[in-house]
Amino acid sequence: MQFPDNAGYMVAAYLVTAVIVLAYATSLFLRLRKHR
Amino acid sequence: MSASTFVRASLAVAAKDLAIEWKTKTAFVSSMVFAVLVLAVLYFARDPTSVATIDVAPGALWVTFTFAAMVGLNRAFLLERENRAMDGLLLTPAPPTAIFVGKVLGNLVFVGVVELASVPLFILFYDLPIGAQLPELLLVMVMATVAFVAVGTLLSAMVVRTRFSEMMLPVLLLPFLVPPVVGAVQLTARILLDRPLSELAGWLKLLAAFDLVFLTLSILLFEATLEE
Amino acid sequence: MIGRDAALRTARRGGVVTVLALLGLAAIYVRALVFTPVERFQGPAQKIFYIHAPAAWAALVAFAITGILSLLYLFLKDRKLDLVAASSAEVGVAFGMVMLTTGPIWGKPIWGTWWTWDARLTSTLFIFLLFVGYLALRNAVTDPGTRAAYSAVIGIMALVLVPFIHVTVYWFRTLHPQPVLVKPSSPSLPGVMLVTLLLSIVVFTVLYVGFTMQRYALAVLRELKAEEVARAVS
Repeated sequence: MQFPDNAGYMVAAYLVTAVIVLAYATSLFLRLRKHR
Repeated sequence: MSASTFVRASLAVAAKDLAIEWKTKTAFVSSMVFAVLVLAVLYFARDPTSVATIDVAPGALWVTFTFAAMVGLNRAFLLERENRAMDGLLLTPAPPTAIFVGKVLGNLVFVGVVELASVPLFILFYDLPIGAQLPELLLVMVMATVAFVAVGTLLSAMVVRTRFSEMMLPVLLLPFLVPPVVGAVQLTARILLDRPLSELAGWLKLLAAFDLVFLTLSILLFEATLEE
Repeated sequence: MIGRDAALRTARRGGVVTVLALLGLAAIYVRALVFTPVERFQGPAQKIFYIHAPAAWAALVAFAITGILSLLYLFLKDRKLDLVAASSAEVGVAFGMVMLTTGPIWGKPIWGTWWTWDARLTSTLFIFLLFVGYLALRNAVTDPGTRAAYSAVIGIMALVLVPFIHVTVYWFRTLHPQPVLVKPSSPSLPGVMLVTLLLSIVVFTVLYVGFTMQRYALAVLRELKAEEVARAVS
């Protein structure tokens, strides 16, 4: 079966999402750590 | 608190603001200069063989009017920041809501004057076929201006006490400008093309609803911004 | 205002929820990328949908909660409401960034264009900008009482503005027909894909809850610290 060749976009989107989510999670953990 | 006292208090606040502006006229002058600038830039920034001035005019007109509103709004509460004049205003027997309505009226007059002064310039330089449509155009101008002045006055009341207030006002105000400005531009375009009333009805209703809702909301919420 | 111990407990519990949700997200990644079939006509890029739609959902939930809690604050004056509203707004902006980046990345291969000014995209863009402004305003105001009042005002105005923006953009769109676009996958997804989407929505919702709990705990701890400093100085 021949699909359109756009897997690059998929990878980009999943990567960007992971970066944003992990960056925000890290920022929360780090900011909270300062208050322990 | 009688209605007439309320009205007199509002008018007093509006008159005070306008008197101050009348003395220096700096806000008015900068708004008019901007109008001429927008006119010129948008005139030359298009391909004259494919883009008619009548297509550019509505956008140009409303960019100018919005800028004038921003200039006026910034001024409005800035006046009160000097010497903590706001506290003085609040100590008067005038209810805070009357002060707010007065500010809105003052801003409306200021922006209205700029708009009325700009229209002849646009007609002149863009060769716009305005004539019979002038009343409709004025109606749209009033409705859209009420929309962004009402919201803008409330926002500037809050923003004036923050750092970077000149930057904060446009940032906060922009999303609120979308319905009135888009509506105004759509209506202006149709009015200039002499479209029938049926084509204007929808957008007019949207503007009217927006005005009603946000004027009421702004007046109701103003007191909440005075919490200290 | 809750005490320091309660705040630390919320932070810990929130942290657990977040970590669980992050693991869930990893599982979604595996499921979507490996175990969900590729859509025949749209290709692999269609899978962006399993991330984009749930992120948009989470962002809008976050913003709705901010709006509603703002309204409640104005009547109840409970500072906790203000802090949860603000926390929800920040988390919403984070999900909003996911939404606004994955959207165009999905749009380019599927629709042929990075952006279209259609009703939904434009509405969400302006809502996002509203909440960026909300956070900027909070940052610029130092007094907590004033900050809470201002935030409530913006929150309520934003809530009321949303339907107006939607109607405006929708009318604009329908009057100015855009070039015909390839329709992306409609809600009637076949079984496996639908399950992936639903699981992803659940994970993103749990992630929202975890993030908001942590952010709220942080807000409380900061307030307590500020009060402590004020007392020490006076």
